[in-house]
Amino acid sequence: MALPRLLRAAAPRLYSSVSAPVPVPVPVPAPAPAPASAVDDSLLSKPLSHPDFFNLKELFSLKDLFNARVHLGHKKGCRHRFMEPYIFGCRLDQDIIDLDQTMEHLQLALNFTAHVAYRKGIILFISRKRQFCHLIESTARECGEYAHTRYWQGGLLTNAHIQFGPGVRLPDLIIFLSTLSNVFEPHVAIRDAAKMNIPTVGVVDTNCNPCLITYPIPGNDDSPTAVELYCKLFKMTIIRAKEKRRQSEIFDELRRKAEGQ
Amino acid sequence: MAGNRLQRIGSVFSRTRDLLRIGVIKKPLWFDVYAAFPPLREPVYRVPRPRYGKVKDVIPPIFYREDQVRARFYRIYGSGPRPFDLSQLNYKSTCQRFVEKFNELKEEGKIEEEKLFEETGKALLASGIILQRRGTDRVAQEDHQDVGSRDSVRHLQLQTLLEEMQEGKKDQKEQTPERVETQKENPLPS
Repeated sequence: MALPRLLRAAAPRLYSSVSAPVPVPVPVPAPAPAPASAVDDSLLSKPLSHPDFFNLKELFSLKDLFNARVHLGHKKGCRHRFMEPYIFGCRLDQDIIDLDQTMEHLQLALNFTAHVAYRKGIILFISRKRQFCHLIESTARECGEYAHTRYWQGGLLTNAHIQFGPGVRLPDLIIFLSTLSNVFEPHVAIRDAAKMNIPTVGVVDTNCNPCLITYPIPGNDDSPTAVELYCKLFKMTIIRAKEKRRQSEIFDELRRKAEGQ
Repeated sequence: MAGNRLQRIGSVFSRTRDLLRIGVIKKPLWFDVYAAFPPLREPVYRVPRPRYGKVKDVIPPIFYREDQVRARFYRIYGSGPRPFDLSQLNYKSTCQRFVEKFNELKEEGKIEEEKLFEETGKALLASGIILQRRGTDRVAQEDHQDVGSRDSVRHLQLQTLLEEMQEGKKDQKEQTPERVETQKENPLPS
């Protein structure tokens, strides 16, 4: 019995998310302060004063959400008690999610994602829906971020230093495209992220528990059109934020050179 | 490396803020962003206890005025001749066309209430949509009829029982050949 356990601990990458990269073990940053920290501070604090620094409200509209069938929930019997504030009504026993609230929540969630990406945070996409596992992995690859759409081993976040080695950098944001696991229970990563003090963004359907998710997005997580819309929105926000960061750094470099000369 | 793994006490932000105040961790990346753009509800853990006793449904049902017309249409004509093609965003089903025509004719106001339904059917026939009747049109009358029919069946059964008993009494006074018939009729009420 000891031998298989050793193999599991030593080589988790053999059967966890092989296709997408696992959180890169970055060595713990030595206490060497970054040069010109004042400039960095303004670089990081300026975006926070704008309500919509990355202009994300142009990416989606209520009509887009409706056409992608984001408002369709599950049947009345599957309804979770804590989703009741986000539900608009019940049409012939099928719950309809309030898209006005979804718009606000989506705006907040995308804004948070953009700011985290701007600050070069690590983002992890999680979903246990086999139908969309390939789509999510390719989305993550195109953004330059990470995804985990396979079986979640118990200690991936809580026991990371032993499973991946010392000095692992954990994700700074976890995005759930479906908060339920294959057995329709809340995904273990929600609880683990709350334990490790990692903020989460998640699409919560009418049968999910939105309590522990930092920025829930009430919406459909089962229709292909809806999940494609979410993937597209997250990809565009992350790419936009990274581009903005690159441009700001280039401008700062040029300005510093101009002032220096 | 300190940390606070108590996910059921407070939110991620409150725990991090308190750890920062003590000074045991460095400020994480997301802290300022959360402080600047907090979510609409603080993500505190709540125990998902089931409701006991009589459960009040707080979600209102969604019904439209056109649903009455739709219900009648589906009862009589089934789901219509054309299959639903939901891949098109602006698809209009036969039922939807029927409802729109019904509303048009109602607004014109030249036709009476009871005849509106049949007139809409005829108008659709004129525009080329053939509707096949699959059920009867009686709504409230149908329910009464069901109850009435059940009662009338029982009524009939009781009547036949009475008649048989009366016939049996008469036959006892007369000859035996009719006893065969009553014996055959007796298993009926069971």
